[in-house]
Amino acid sequence: MAELTASHLPAAAHDDHGHMSEEEHNNNMKLGVWLYLASEIVIFSIMIVGYIIFRINEKDIVAQAHEELGVGLVTANTFVLLASSFFMVMGLRAMQGGNRAGMLRWIGLTALGGIVFLGGQYIEYSELAHLGIVLGFDTASEWSTFGMRFYAPTFFHGAHVFVGVLWALEVMRRGAKGRYDNNPIGIEMFGLYWHFVDVVWIMLFTLIYLV
Amino acid sequence: MAEAMHHEGEHHSNTVRLLGREITVEGGVYTVVFGALAVLTVIEVVSAEVLNGAIHDAPDAATTLQAIKAILLLGIAIIKSSLVIWFYMHLKTESRLIAIVILLPLLIAGLSIMFLLAIPPSGYGL
Repeated sequence: MAELTASHLPAAAHDDHGHMSEEEHNNNMKLGVWLYLASEIVIFSIMIVGYIIFRINEKDIVAQAHEELGVGLVTANTFVLLASSFFMVMGLRAMQGGNRAGMLRWIGLTALGGIVFLGGQYIEYSELAHLGIVLGFDTASEWSTFGMRFYAPTFFHGAHVFVGVLWALEVMRRGAKGRYDNNPIGIEMFGLYWHFVDVVWIMLFTLIYLV
Repeated sequence: MAEAMHHEGEHHSNTVRLLGREITVEGGVYTVVFGALAVLTVIEVVSAEVLNGAIHDAPDAATTLQAIKAILLLGIAIIKSSLVIWFYMHLKTESRLIAIVILLPLLIAGLSIMFLLAIPPSGYGL
């Protein structure tokens, strides 16, 4: 890794009018996204710790939930999201190599992966609702305590995937107009967000469906 | 795990060094990382199923097996997450400041989780 500061460029990085160089501008943009992701870590941690405490204290309900949930659909969905992360980084690679058409193709596949993931999540939620695993306002239900602990982190993650799909489409729109031909920082910023969403799912998949 | 042959052109090189061997694959290190993520996911799911079966067959050892399962699966998940952050999010080549920005909240979240887990289920009787 390089130096400690993001804005460690020499004074010559600014021009005579005090404007930032492109490299400094890019570093600041990336630092902003990383700071945003740091705040997201705290939010997701609250939901994850809520689930872990429930998992430790209510072993029987979670064991029963695991039988109902199954891992087939969610494993397929996990592969889709992992693949979309690969498509994303390949899109950035294509643009850095000056291949705009390739970038559009890869980012399009990224968006498609997000849409397929959301479709899988919709099917899963429908099946769970049919089984009576709902948000948990019905205190008479045996699932009353599980529903909120399950839906809060997974739905919040799904909302992030939805935002990511919209962002991917916007990146494609701008990219098609040549916005990133000389500076692909906009794609890199979206990539940081999308990979973070992937990392969160890696942890949720293990904690909620497997452990 | 996998090292690009030429650091400067790492993101665009299709040749990577993997376990002491040079391999050429479209996408280079990114494709190798995706392959590792896929294999680790399969190992995770299969391990969970096998250990669930063992827990079901040997209820006396359920607590131990459950602990082994949790440590194994969370270990794999942390490796998978690290691969994505290191290679796909390019933390490998970013400044130390960005590493601190992402590691500090993880550390605080980890400490907070440990404090919360230390609270007994019945609370402190206040």
